[in-house]
Amino acid sequence: MSRLAAGPIIPSFSQGSSCERNNGWFCTDWLHQHWGDTLQPALVQHVELTVIAVGVGFGISFLLALAGFRFRLFDLPIGVFADLLYTIPSLALFQLLVPLTGLTVTTVEVALISYTLFILYRNIVAGLRAVPDEVLESARGMGLTRLQTFIRVELPLAVPALMAGLRIATVSTVSIATVAAFVIPEGLGEPIFTGLQEDLFKTEILAAGLLAVALALGADLLLVLLARALTPWSRLT
Amino acid sequence: MIAGSTFLDTLRFIPHHAGLLLDKTGETAELSFAALGVALAIALPIGLWLGHKHRGLFFALGVSTLGRALPTVALIAFFLPLLGIGLWNNLAALVVLGVPPILTNAYFAVEGVEADAVEAARGMGLTELQILARVELPLGLPLLLAGLRIAAVFVIATATIAGIFGGGGLGEIIGDQGSYRLSGVLAASLFVAALALLTALAIAAVQRAAYRRMSPST
Amino acid sequence: MVRKHTRRAAKAAFAVSLGVALLIGVLASGAAAARRSAKPAIILGSKNFPEETLLGQIYGQVLRAKGFKVTYKASIGSTEVINPAITSGKINFYPEYTGTIVADLANESLPRSAKATWQKANAYEEKHGLKLLKYTPFEDVDTFTVLRSTATKYHLKTIGDMKKLKSFSYAGYPECKTRITCLLGLKNIYGLKQVKFVSIGNTIPVYTLLKEHKATAGDIFSTDPNLLGKTYTTLKDTKHIFGFQNVAPVVRQSLLKGSAGMLLESACNAVSKDLTLNAMLQMDKAVIVDKASPAYVAKRFLQANGLLK
Repeated sequence: MSRLAAGPIIPSFSQGSSCERNNGWFCTDWLHQHWGDTLQPALVQHVELTVIAVGVGFGISFLLALAGFRFRLFDLPIGVFADLLYTIPSLALFQLLVPLTGLTVTTVEVALISYTLFILYRNIVAGLRAVPDEVLESARGMGLTRLQTFIRVELPLAVPALMAGLRIATVSTVSIATVAAFVIPEGLGEPIFTGLQEDLFKTEILAAGLLAVALALGADLLLVLLARALTPWSRLT
Repeated sequence: MIAGSTFLDTLRFIPHHAGLLLDKTGETAELSFAALGVALAIALPIGLWLGHKHRGLFFALGVSTLGRALPTVALIAFFLPLLGIGLWNNLAALVVLGVPPILTNAYFAVEGVEADAVEAARGMGLTELQILARVELPLGLPLLLAGLRIAAVFVIATATIAGIFGGGGLGEIIGDQGSYRLSGVLAASLFVAALALLTALAIAAVQRAAYRRMSPST
Repeated sequence: MVRKHTRRAAKAAFAVSLGVALLIGVLASGAAAARRSAKPAIILGSKNFPEETLLGQIYGQVLRAKGFKVTYKASIGSTEVINPAITSGKINFYPEYTGTIVADLANESLPRSAKATWQKANAYEEKHGLKLLKYTPFEDVDTFTVLRSTATKYHLKTIGDMKKLKSFSYAGYPECKTRITCLLGLKNIYGLKQVKFVSIGNTIPVYTLLKEHKATAGDIFSTDPNLLGKTYTTLKDTKHIFGFQNVAPVVRQSLLKGSAGMLLESACNAVSKDLTLNAMLQMDKAVIVDKASPAYVAKRFLQANGLLK
């Protein structure tokens, strides 16, 4: 061996761009290089987390809202329970669920679903209640049964409130889901925490943050369009 | 059951670390209330004025959606290289989160005041600022306070995230399961929840008083 | 950041069994192909931070060049998660820090030399059907680091010199404050009772606190690329409270049988010998600061030193 005790040869590794080496705010080469292995998978995970959480959350709160709406007795306890869930900090809830559901996506989902309940339950019940008495009277006058009244009158009229709730729940879920990566490496929070640990790499933090905002706003826009399609009668307002 | 023993440990943790928990609750309260104060100072004038002018509906709605869409983690991380570690990065992020609900509700509170009342006041020769202060603000107060309550719960619950970004407070315990175990995390989050609920109740009490003061006239 | 206790590590302890169950599912696919050729197939795992990914690539590329079939399983998790993966045979090779094996797996006190640490770690691994290959010259250990300006001002060379300061603060990760290998060691072994601990949560690198003058000293890992410049000075740990954290490959004993086993061992030892502190600092910098890929950095380094064509 020709090498002496001086130690191994250190070759030049210069591969990153000067923007990356100087920790720039928006290194396009990094984005280009790591879209496929970092940002895109995180975005896809984030979309999945959100869709499942809002979907399941909607199902659960719809059933709860039916109970709360039909039997006023349930309304207060269900409402208080949903409110209390919301005051538990997300940072804690993700950790507290780990002993029960493990370091898994399920843990993230259970926490996210809990937070959607608060928003969705309130909105659905309020929407159902807001149907004017005159409308119900005339429905009864037309000989509709209780179930028919619910399906043909109350439910359609509650759609705007329901969609408003869905919008808030979706946008909030996208935001809260970024916290999950503190405990479980899933979603757009993961590149943010990685960027922090890798010497506060700004491009990664900013890119993932902007993707989360874009996802939230994009989802909101989709729901606005969906709401319009579902309630053609309200388009005038 | 893991959950059961954690719960018992939590019951033990609270008296053992009462001093620490109260200290940290104080820090969280300080940070949250400071953020709410700044948010109020920014959002209230804008919201009230736009509402008074009946202008900027799109802006008011947009701000509230955008506010919800901004992820706290990203926001604090974003402010970190700009403002350094500690108070400012966290305060800035919490202010950004507190502004939208206050602004939007202030807007709708004033905007929704019946036109007759405003016209009558104008007829009596009140200036625009007087109308806002003496007619619109009192009538819109309940809705405005509702916005403040939402902002308060939101900011307090979120302030815990500051703990993992050098901001201190209960989040420091919640973000440090390694030292405080799950029982400490649970205890600290109970204190966060209590702080949020008490603040919300206090604001709700003011809100009810405002309603009561209004009800004779309606 | 190069961290042996990553932010996920603390949580992992509470869900090890579940985490492992998940892991087994992920890794099961790789285990089947293990017994075909004369040279055993290597399923090379690594923990979830950049330095480990890099080390995985370094050993993996050399073994591949020697004709072994190597499958990478990067970012498996913390020590608590990766250890069950190798004892159960889901992986059969991973680079580990010797002091971590002694402290976190064997739950024993840290010995007072690198060699003794390796021996104690190896004794633990051998009881579990594993073997520790030779250790690297470099170690990635906690340090007591101050700004160079602070060191110059107070003429600080060793941690013991901190006695000259009436009061000072030490920033570290949360786990530090309850460990004899960290804050308690500073207080009880060095007698630095005046130290005030600054906890920094699990998300922000410690050096930022020093840079912003929010702490006098901090626990920066010895291979953190930030230590390369002239900004910081690491004080000598003369009483070895931080222990020794050299790296050695943990290998399943079944891999080391026969001539193929000897080839594997000699190839790995040849690489380990070249992994000096400066080499690791430069490579970590290339990966963490300059965003070069670990595979590329490993290849360049191995080629420059004649370990790879």
